[in-house]
Amino acid sequence: MSIVNEIPDKAAGGSLRELLPSSRIVAPIAVLAAILLVWQTGVRYFDVKPFIAPAPTDVLAVLVSDYPLLLRNFWPTLSEALLGFAVGNIIAVLIAVAFVHNRAVEKAFFPVAVFVNTIPILAIAPILVLIFGNGMTAKVVIAALICFFPTLVNMVKGLQSVGKDALDLAQILSATKNEVFWKIRLPASLPYLFAALKIAATTSVIGAIVGEWIGADVGLGALIIDATFNFRSPLLYATVFVSSGLAVLLFLMVTLLERRLVYWTANPRH
Amino acid sequence: MEALKVAEDTGFIPPAPPRAAVSLDRLSVAFDTANGPIVALRDITLDIEDGTFLTILGPSGCGKSTLLRVVSDLVPMAGGNATVFGKSPEQARRGRDIAFVFQDAALLPWRTALENVKLPLEMGIRRGQEIHRSERSPEELLAMVGLKGRENALPHELSGGMRQRVAIARALVCKPKLLLMDEPFGALDEITRDRLNEEILRIWQETGTTILFVTHSIPEAVFLGQKVLMLAAHPGRVKELVDVGLPRDRKLKMRESAEFVRTAARLRELLEEC
Ligand SMILES: Nc1ncnc2c1ncn2[C@@H]1O[C@H](COP(=O)(O)OP(=O)(O)OP(=O)(O)O)[C@@H](O)[C@H]1O
Ligand SMILES: [Mg+2]
Repeated sequence: MSIVNEIPDKAAGGSLRELLPSSRIVAPIAVLAAILLVWQTGVRYFDVKPFIAPAPTDVLAVLVSDYPLLLRNFWPTLSEALLGFAVGNIIAVLIAVAFVHNRAVEKAFFPVAVFVNTIPILAIAPILVLIFGNGMTAKVVIAALICFFPTLVNMVKGLQSVGKDALDLAQILSATKNEVFWKIRLPASLPYLFAALKIAATTSVIGAIVGEWIGADVGLGALIIDATFNFRSPLLYATVFVSSGLAVLLFLMVTLLERRLVYWTANPRH
Repeated sequence: MEALKVAEDTGFIPPAPPRAAVSLDRLSVAFDTANGPIVALRDITLDIEDGTFLTILGPSGCGKSTLLRVVSDLVPMAGGNATVFGKSPEQARRGRDIAFVFQDAALLPWRTALENVKLPLEMGIRRGQEIHRSERSPEELLAMVGLKGRENALPHELSGGMRQRVAIARALVCKPKLLLMDEPFGALDEITRDRLNEEILRIWQETGTTILFVTHSIPEAVFLGQKVLMLAAHPGRVKELVDVGLPRDRKLKMRESAEFVRTAARLRELLEEC
């Protein structure tokens, strides 16, 4: 459960780093700049053919010149990833709630969920495209599927993370199951949920792109395939760059929401 | 107050309230475990008068927590009977006669100090149910435990002693007739513990609540209790009920008095026999 273990680390690391905003931003930028510089000079010095590996400046040129093409393919992927993110996580949360309310449901369905999770997404994607066709649905389903399992596991863990004392307190107060859920279990689960949502923010983009590889006319995934087969390497690189930009964008949105909702930074049990 | 009014209006005279706050009659508690049932408490017979400050001592695992938990309906009885103000533990719990302070303050980390104190007013109240409320508002209760100005602090921003004070304020918000405290200051340093001991005595004198207070510290048991209940282990049973001959109004320096030293020595002897 490496996903769950992320929470205390985050709580511990946050405060020190926030004291040093400059090094937090400057250091990665310096490293990135160094990599780009080595890449640029390497490509030029060894005279690598652009279709094998374009220089960063070539990629940048395409980013500017083919901007409308990239943007046109950006929107479909964004909507597939967002929809898949929403559908996959909502279903995962609802099932987690059902699991926590009813042990029998968990015993029956959890093994199925584990089994579904063991199927490689690349293997199941063609099947889903066959079932749902070449349109948007297949990509949304793939993105949803890839988000589903980490959120399910973390949400179950989060809903069960309430300490014995808090549950005893609720019983002394004669609280109903509903009150325990809304006022204790659900807030207690939020740090765990967000740990999973941050993973889902990036994997949902992967899901959408994988779906587009298999069959699509539009989208960043389709553009990647197209650019590859036409040896338009600078465009390929630019598309990859935009794809990871999309993932970063979703990740940032989830992080901002987390800061608002999970304002009690310390880990509940420490 | 309510009862008096009823009596005037209808001429019905309610039965005199039972004198005992907690009455245990051959009470037993058992737990089912993988290695068969464990008898945690056997044949405990004890009456605790209303308004008493009773401290409970005993070796680890002798059933001190279990005693509080059975009185507050957190664990079921296996035999015998327990009543709280003449009612079953369940009725007393539903009627909000009982409040519990745990060793770990058990605050909800996403609620501010004030919101934590208000929690009992937002939970477990059935439609139409009237619950007792302290004459003091939640804000005043926080001030009373020395947390004026920290109303909006989150639990992780408070020290261990402060969190425990919030838990005490939360326990008082529904004006409990019986306050159960399970090693509430066990994790605190000595100075904080002394201060909270004085505070809890003041609260007891002011509110007249019956308090059952579990501790591992003999000095704490003597300083706080009018009576000290010594439990023996395997199975948990009453070893002795020791009276503390100190006045109601206690000062920390009474811990050097002859009576204090004598009682503490007696309890240490008893504890060694257990
Ligand atoms: N939920 C439970 N399930 C099984 N056994 C339990 C449970 N709670 C308590 N016990 C057993 O009952 C006995 C009394 O436990 P209890 O917690 O009441 O002791 P205690 O006097 O409070 O100990 P300590 O001073 O260490 O807190 C112990 O033998 C313990 O193992
Ligand atoms: Mg105990």
